[in-house]
Amino acid sequence: MKKSIKGTTISDRLLLLFLITASISGIFLARDALPESGEVVIELDGQPAFTAALREDRVIRLQSSVGPVEVEIKNSRARIREAHCPNQLCVKQGWVSRGIIVCLPGKIVVFVGGRGKHKKKDLDAVTG
Amino acid sequence: MGIRPLLIVLLLLAVSCSGPKPHSYQKSKALMDTFITITVVSDSEATAGAAIEKAFVRLEQFGNMINFFSPDSELSMVNNNAGVAATHVSPETLEVIDKALYVAEKSGGAFDPTIGPIMQLWDFHKNTKPEDAEVKRRLPLVNYRNVRIDRKHSTVFLTRKGMLLDLGGIAKGYAADLAVETLGKQGIRSGIVAVAGDIKAFGYRPDGKPWNIGIKNPRQKGEKDEIIATIPLSDKAISTAGDYERFFIMNGQRYHHIMNPATGYPAYGTRSVSVVADKGVFADGFDNAIFVLGPEKGRKLIEQLNRDFPADAFIIYDNGSEYITTGINGLLKHEKEH
Amino acid sequence: MQLQDKQRVAVLSAYALVLHGFEAILPMPVPWLRAGLANIITLVALLLYDFKTAMAVTIIRVTLASMFTGTFLGPAFILSLGGGIASTVAVGLVHAAARNLFGPIGLSLIGSLFHNLAQLSLAGLLFVQRLEPILIISPFILLIGTLTGVVNGTITAVLIRQLKAEKADRAACNNEP
Repeated sequence: MKKSIKGTTISDRLLLLFLITASISGIFLARDALPESGEVVIELDGQPAFTAALREDRVIRLQSSVGPVEVEIKNSRARIREAHCPNQLCVKQGWVSRGIIVCLPGKIVVFVGGRGKHKKKDLDAVTG
Repeated sequence: MGIRPLLIVLLLLAVSCSGPKPHSYQKSKALMDTFITITVVSDSEATAGAAIEKAFVRLEQFGNMINFFSPDSELSMVNNNAGVAATHVSPETLEVIDKALYVAEKSGGAFDPTIGPIMQLWDFHKNTKPEDAEVKRRLPLVNYRNVRIDRKHSTVFLTRKGMLLDLGGIAKGYAADLAVETLGKQGIRSGIVAVAGDIKAFGYRPDGKPWNIGIKNPRQKGEKDEIIATIPLSDKAISTAGDYERFFIMNGQRYHHIMNPATGYPAYGTRSVSVVADKGVFADGFDNAIFVLGPEKGRKLIEQLNRDFPADAFIIYDNGSEYITTGINGLLKHEKEH
Repeated sequence: MQLQDKQRVAVLSAYALVLHGFEAILPMPVPWLRAGLANIITLVALLLYDFKTAMAVTIIRVTLASMFTGTFLGPAFILSLGGGIASTVAVGLVHAAARNLFGPIGLSLIGSLFHNLAQLSLAGLLFVQRLEPILIISPFILLIGTLTGVVNGTITAVLIRQLKAEKADRAACNNEP
């Protein structure tokens, strides 16, 4: 196979191009998948445990499998303020205005910006 | 081939996929003794927030003017002057009363904004029903024909003492129209205003689809069967009158808040009526009218309305059967868990 | 031969641990973002020696590193082990099946891809137990993985060339009377 700069083959470059385009388009797709109803949904052990509005500043304290968890909502952003997991990665991630914070050991997932109850059926409003 | 073409491709990708993407922003507020949620599509959160705030301000002003329970409201002033004198009101108040009278006339009195004296007798918090004699005594006061409107002087006159205008059955729909009008003046082209269950949707969602509205199941038992059907709407209003919103059951009989102006008692035969119209004020007024008229006459009314100006309805009768007008038949989607 | 193999594995594992430790100290914008520098050693082991060596180095590095940080048998260890094994196997297979198709950079990309795929799958199945958040964060993680894969692959290529040159030198020296 032809080798040129820094010992890269054609296959190398093709693979790189493919991976970069795939992941970048994947990112845009994923961002659209996050609906923007302005809600914060906290899931523990795979089940929704608490839903709050992103617009209301508050601190939510829940019990997870690794102990107490504190989620703070302020200025339309959310963060995990306290979690008793060994690596504290979820806490270190800080404020998220739209996205997901995951704490693996605690099985805690915080959805920011989406998944209200009605979003399951993709409803914008309810009459009746 | 080297590394440069690769970099250029990456740069092009990054540039072409950027640019302001419209998002929808939502804000809720407790106003007009109910919960109002406004969603708008905008390029920026700041624009959206400012527009929504202006709409809330307008709704609060309107709410204060037509508040039945506030002694300072324009509506109360009109009511206090019943049988005495004509009262000057602001343009919005005049318009909503005017539209209410139109709905009353069109429905042969099935919707009647002068239902105030009867509504006072029923309490859905304390679950009390009035004495028969009292209902009979007040019934003559319920007559929309005894309302005089002077457009030139912007006044309203209730000709008999004791008459009371209650705009509860139409004000929320009108408020939705007002909110959408305010948002439009702020440059908002797409959004949805929900004044409790009276909704007006205009434009489209950020993903280009019409707004998706859920219709509540009148006999909901749990969380899963809350929605009985959904309908996509754009530039339309939808309102629902139902016997499950405010009610109590006494001796096996359901007493709900949608009164028949002719009898002074709740109207029976229907569980819920959802009306789709161009204006919220009509959707709100006519859903009550069709409900009160009952299965046969209600159907006749909506068919007539369908001819006069586009208005559609989704009706669920007491026995669970449904009636859907042709205009929305293809759009309405029933939910599976039902 | 046995002894030489063991020595080789030990030395390489040591290098891998050093790289891992060095990387852990590096300040990073996002906490869980790691460049996977230790994977360079795995790849070098595969290219210079053989699959067995590479796998041994990977497993030893992951196990010892988790023991040192006190996360042995914890979720982080399981993810690292899964990712390490998956990437080594994948790269080993590709290298065995099509020796000259990919250079060090391509192999490093493959390794990083399978490493991340394995970790995302394990995290989703064992810990989060929900598909949605995994799907949403995976493109981002794969992008980072691709970029670090290029970096690691480049470093590997440089190292390989250097080490091969040294080997040739040494061989030449040994052959000269």
